[in-house]
Amino acid sequence: MSLMKFFFAVYPYICLTVFVVGCWIRYDNQQYTWKTDSSQLLSGSNMVLASNFFHIGILAIFFGHFAGLVLPHWIWHLFGINDLQHQWIAIWAGSIFGVMCLIGGAMLWLRRFFNPRVRAAGRKNDAFVITWLMITLVLGLATLPVSIGHAGKGDPQVMLLLGDWIKSVIVLNPQPQLLEQVEPIYRAHMFFGMTVFLIFPFTRLVHILTAPLNYASRAYQIVRSKRYRSA
Amino acid sequence: MSHFLDRLRFFDKVKETFSNGHGIVTNEDRQWEDAYRNRWRHDKVVRSTHGVNCTGGCSWKIFVKNGLVSFEMQQTDYPRTREDLPNHEPRGCQRGASFSWYLYSPHRIKHPMIRGRLLDLYRAERKRGKDPVEAWEAIQNDPDKRIRYVGVRGLGGFVRTSWQEVTEIIAAANVYTIKKWGPDRIYGFSPIPAMSMISYAAGSRYLSLIGGACGSFYDWYCDLPAGSPQTWGEQTDVPEAADWYNSTYLIITGANLPMTRTPDAHFATEVRYKGAKIVSMAPDYAEYVKFADLWMPVRQGTDAAAFLAMAHVALKEFHIQRQDPYFTEYARKYTDLPMQVILREFGEGWVPDRNLRASDFDGALGQANNPEWKTVVFDRKSGSYLAPNGSVGFRWGEEGKWNLLEKAGDQDIEAELSCIEERDEIVPVGFPHFNPGEKALLYRNVPVRKLRLASGEEVLVASVFDLQVAHYGVDRGLGGANVATSYEDPSVPYTPAWAAKVTGVKAADIERTGREFADNASRTRGKSMVIMGAAINHWYHNDMAYRAIMNLLHLCGCVGQSGGGWAHYVGQEKLRPQAGWAPIAFALDWMRPPRHQNSTSYWYFHTDQWRYDSLDADALLQPAAKGKYKGYRLADYNVVATRLGWLPSAPHYNRNPLALADEAIQAGAQDETAVGMYVARQLKEGKLDVAFADPDAEENWPRNLFVWRANLLGCSAKGHEYFLKHLVGAQNGVLQEGGDGNGTSEVKWREEAPAGKLDLMVDINFRLNSTGAYSDIILPTATWYEKNDLNTTDMHPFIHPLGEAVTPGWESKSDWQIFKTIAKGFSALAEKHLGTRKDIVALPMQHDSPFEMAQPLGQVKDWKKGECEPVPGKTMPLIKLVERDFGNTYRKYIALGPLMTKIGNNVKGLDWNTEQEYEELKHANGTVREAGVSQGMPSLEEDIYVCDAVMRMAPETNGEVAHKSWSALSKKTGIDHHHLYAGRHEDKITFRDIVAQPRKIITAPTWSGIESEKVSYTAGYTNIHEHIPFRTLTGRAHFYQDHEWFIDFGESLVSYRPPIDMKAHEKVPAGIKDKPHLTLSWITPHSKWGIHSSYQDNQRMLNLFRGGPYVWISEDDAASVGIRDNDWVEAVNANGATVARAVVSQRVPRGMALMYHAQEKNVNVPGSNTTGKRGGILNSVTRVVVKPTNMVGGYVQLAYSFNYYGTVGCQRDEVVVLHKIADQDIDWLERPLTPEREAQRNPSGIGCR
Repeated sequence: MSLMKFFFAVYPYICLTVFVVGCWIRYDNQQYTWKTDSSQLLSGSNMVLASNFFHIGILAIFFGHFAGLVLPHWIWHLFGINDLQHQWIAIWAGSIFGVMCLIGGAMLWLRRFFNPRVRAAGRKNDAFVITWLMITLVLGLATLPVSIGHAGKGDPQVMLLLGDWIKSVIVLNPQPQLLEQVEPIYRAHMFFGMTVFLIFPFTRLVHILTAPLNYASRAYQIVRSKRYRSA
Repeated sequence: MSHFLDRLRFFDKVKETFSNGHGIVTNEDRQWEDAYRNRWRHDKVVRSTHGVNCTGGCSWKIFVKNGLVSFEMQQTDYPRTREDLPNHEPRGCQRGASFSWYLYSPHRIKHPMIRGRLLDLYRAERKRGKDPVEAWEAIQNDPDKRIRYVGVRGLGGFVRTSWQEVTEIIAAANVYTIKKWGPDRIYGFSPIPAMSMISYAAGSRYLSLIGGACGSFYDWYCDLPAGSPQTWGEQTDVPEAADWYNSTYLIITGANLPMTRTPDAHFATEVRYKGAKIVSMAPDYAEYVKFADLWMPVRQGTDAAAFLAMAHVALKEFHIQRQDPYFTEYARKYTDLPMQVILREFGEGWVPDRNLRASDFDGALGQANNPEWKTVVFDRKSGSYLAPNGSVGFRWGEEGKWNLLEKAGDQDIEAELSCIEERDEIVPVGFPHFNPGEKALLYRNVPVRKLRLASGEEVLVASVFDLQVAHYGVDRGLGGANVATSYEDPSVPYTPAWAAKVTGVKAADIERTGREFADNASRTRGKSMVIMGAAINHWYHNDMAYRAIMNLLHLCGCVGQSGGGWAHYVGQEKLRPQAGWAPIAFALDWMRPPRHQNSTSYWYFHTDQWRYDSLDADALLQPAAKGKYKGYRLADYNVVATRLGWLPSAPHYNRNPLALADEAIQAGAQDETAVGMYVARQLKEGKLDVAFADPDAEENWPRNLFVWRANLLGCSAKGHEYFLKHLVGAQNGVLQEGGDGNGTSEVKWREEAPAGKLDLMVDINFRLNSTGAYSDIILPTATWYEKNDLNTTDMHPFIHPLGEAVTPGWESKSDWQIFKTIAKGFSALAEKHLGTRKDIVALPMQHDSPFEMAQPLGQVKDWKKGECEPVPGKTMPLIKLVERDFGNTYRKYIALGPLMTKIGNNVKGLDWNTEQEYEELKHANGTVREAGVSQGMPSLEEDIYVCDAVMRMAPETNGEVAHKSWSALSKKTGIDHHHLYAGRHEDKITFRDIVAQPRKIITAPTWSGIESEKVSYTAGYTNIHEHIPFRTLTGRAHFYQDHEWFIDFGESLVSYRPPIDMKAHEKVPAGIKDKPHLTLSWITPHSKWGIHSSYQDNQRMLNLFRGGPYVWISEDDAASVGIRDNDWVEAVNANGATVARAVVSQRVPRGMALMYHAQEKNVNVPGSNTTGKRGGILNSVTRVVVKPTNMVGGYVQLAYSFNYYGTVGCQRDEVVVLHKIADQDIDWLERPLTPEREAQRNPSGIGCR
């Protein structure tokens, strides 16, 4: 098995499997570990800026990836956006939110490593996660000049290839050969990105899955019935 | 089943809606709720309390879950008080509620621990084939080996060992010490039995069996108000907290009720709803000030002046301008005010001397028994001098007349208070005065009578009342100087205007409070109360402050009345079943007497603080002093007190008492009397001397020290750094060399002072505190939730248990079991090395025994000066011969011994037999089965057996014993007291009873209050209402002390004496005084976040305030030297230094630093920049100094009894220099131990003098 095959045909499934099964086991067995592990109590200085920049940036990037690479092309076409315009939007949005996330993330990273209270109370795991995310982000930002190059030449092909590959993974028919022509920097970013899913169940990242979004629409009064039967 | 799968039904969980969709009914997993339910779920609840000397004595529910203590909560099942009186509960405070943290905390001692170097040395010797005692001897005889472990005390290095090995080492050390130096070189320090009686009794029983000395604590803590025994012959007896509610006027001074009496403070707020007025006196804006009607911010250390001025007002308006009938009757019957005093010619007139006695008259006023001990009044009915009933002369040697009925014999009398109407003469009498800048002897005119004594001498006599009025400076129209017609005259002590000058309180406030206090007492028959405490009792002249308060109370007829009198709260002194406990605690069931030692004198000598004592005793004398001991230093006075049989000493003499007994017997002494004569002869010939006369000679050092239930070195060791330097031999911060104490006449000065006197120091505790850190061995004991024990307090009349909620953690055991284990190890070695020996015990003349009449007329006769012969029990201590069968120590420890049936039991001079209780205990506890001396005797093997034995033998918990003891007292007083306990004659309280619910005790003659449905417990109640005399010379409350030393030191009447100058702040390193600094008096009150040193290292408490040591200073003082809140500061003087964070607050007045008591060395304490050693504790900057009047003995109320009378460890007169330490200069001393650092035990530049 070639390395390409391993990383882009097998590894994605390893990551997704560990992600799903790992989260399931942790959610069922270690409910009290399912939390953000916030350290804001220990040091609140600059947290408004750092945390908001980081979170807004990373959420936008996540949804940007989803919209750009997972959604079918025809949806874009439906809105009258051709592939090249699509790519320029991706470049602009990626740059703005990527830099935002970089600023916030760098502040958090420095705080995590050099604030004595945060450092003393934190675990190695926390330092690892922020570091990994920052590397992934930096690699992602490093793809921008290449993408600008492609777009400048009016060639959205690489972007479409990447989208096709992701779709191939989703439909359980992985086609690693799609990536053979793609610049290595994309592949490096993808490896780090996939690994985020791999480490996800073992870190504080799990808090993403239970963001209390329903608070916004929750009824004023909730009566919990006594007659519950567990699934 | 699966939280994850449940989440898959996220959109399916809403089953119905209501209220227009504002409400929903869901069907979802509710398992998570169990977490909240389980938080409070538990397997069992056990009743216990905290043995921490907090006076709370609160009953707690201890919740146990999965075999672990999970939390505690206040119990609320106390018996009710009575109609119209709030209940005592709920009791408890934030500190108690945090205790369970300790059980599983990092501070917990889990295993027997020993200093690693000592263990190595010991094992090496054992390997060479030596037996344990020989091994110990080999270590002690080799100075190089000894210093290896002694020199690193306090520097860590503990290793785990086994119970078997550690008891062997302790036993070997004890056996060796007894053999080589004598049993009186073994010392035990444990305080406050009432907080966990059985645990106290464990160590004291073991020590008493082997002949070791038990150290006192109440006097050492300086919580003993010397004024109380001086005035009433009573150690301390105070009202329960509920009695505050019966008062209608309260002055509170030096007792911070919400902070230190937290569970009882509600009574003080509740009584205000009833309309009582509360006046607070505190230099700082203390917590209790907040619920007072008036705050009198009195300058620290000047309380006596304020109270003297209040009494000036009360005396003038209620005794002179008009004679309040209630006050007058009270004064006549219950105080010594009508007693007559002989005047002595001096200077420009006269000075008061001793009390007139029956023996001064021809025919001794018909008194054949003890006429020298019967004081005299002038009877208005018969117009003659008479000896009224109740004086101590009636107490011993006759029956039925020791009472306070207004009689002389059977004749009704009316004692005259003042002879002003029928005086023979008016003469100027000199009164000592001590306020700086004012005259030292103030002559005032006093009305007197002339009298011819049996000796033919003509004398002038005056009543105490007439002397007292003159002493207060009240003008009675007799002319002469130094009396005031107006309260506004600041030149005459003790007017309110004069007091305002001294105290800083407004004269009008003092005047009004004095008047209101007296007026209220007059209208309510004595329901005016003063609540006081340690804050004013820790001064050198504390007895002056206290007697000033007592005077006011007596002038107003408050003492002994419900809702009135003094309420002195310091520690948990009230050991209610004392009479049942003492025989077990001091092994009186096997041998008598035990060795008791007043700790203040002990530490003063053995920690060599006397070598640094800068106080000039001559400067304390009054101008009219006879001054027989002029030129003596304070240490010399203590030696005199020891040799005259006033105070005890451990060791007794500079020879092993076992060897001394052998010599006496070899020299032909057949019995105890002959041995006593032999000892007296040896002393007289100078072949033998008291140990305190040469405390630095190695034969007089203390050798083994046990500390249990205590924290000596982190908490109560005043002169902490001197302890470290001389006694322990550790790294210390003493910043001066000895020398100020040189020039002694009786104490031998050695140029080089010893360092490290102790061979072995053993700490028994459940948490590692400073004492443990300096010990050689630490034994793990059960916590307060892991043992069965008894607990009582002053604050409420109930007895309740400490209960074993869980078995002792890890390898720990209860104190009773620990000393049982040690006794077993000791017996095994003692059988071979010691056998059975005779031991000489030198016993001071005891209070409440006929020996309190050893030295008549208050005259000091010193055999060493040739003024008399040394006679045991008369002019020197009693010499008792005690047989010690060392090999049977264990067997005796575990059984209640035969003397309980042969001699019986006693308390306060009352004897009764205990045969019946002894037989009952055989059935209740079972008997010892093991063959040997104790086979068939009631068993004391288990903690609960001991609890039950105590309660069975005490009048407070067994109605039958109450009956026997009250019968004994009824015989003495000639009054039938049986009604006091009649309703409870058949009650017997057992351990199982108090586990079910706290039980109210039964009225006993041990105490001066009663348990009744009608009145709350209050001190002196039976003296006033049952006419039982106070246990004093006159049988009444004393305004006047006629002992020679009291007269010499100017304290026969109360005077204001300013704080003494300790001079320690003058000797600080120059660098500090060059920088901005403050010179502040050093005040160490009790804390909000701890009880003594307990809880201060508890994480829950540390989280509440600053998380480490701190010192409060005033905002203005801080600003003047650039200190900001939370800066590091160092307090330093010649005694040492301590580093803490500054708390800058408006609460504190200028000129004062306030460091809460007993913040010790184990949490967040950096090094001191000045000493170079670990930053110190509150007592690093203090040094104790002893007071001669507190040493007086052999004289009724001024006779020694354990924790009753003696020198007190005062430390509040100290002054420090305080300066800021910049954050970057803080040194945590976290470096490895190098040979250089190990060798440098003193601060650099300080030698070993």
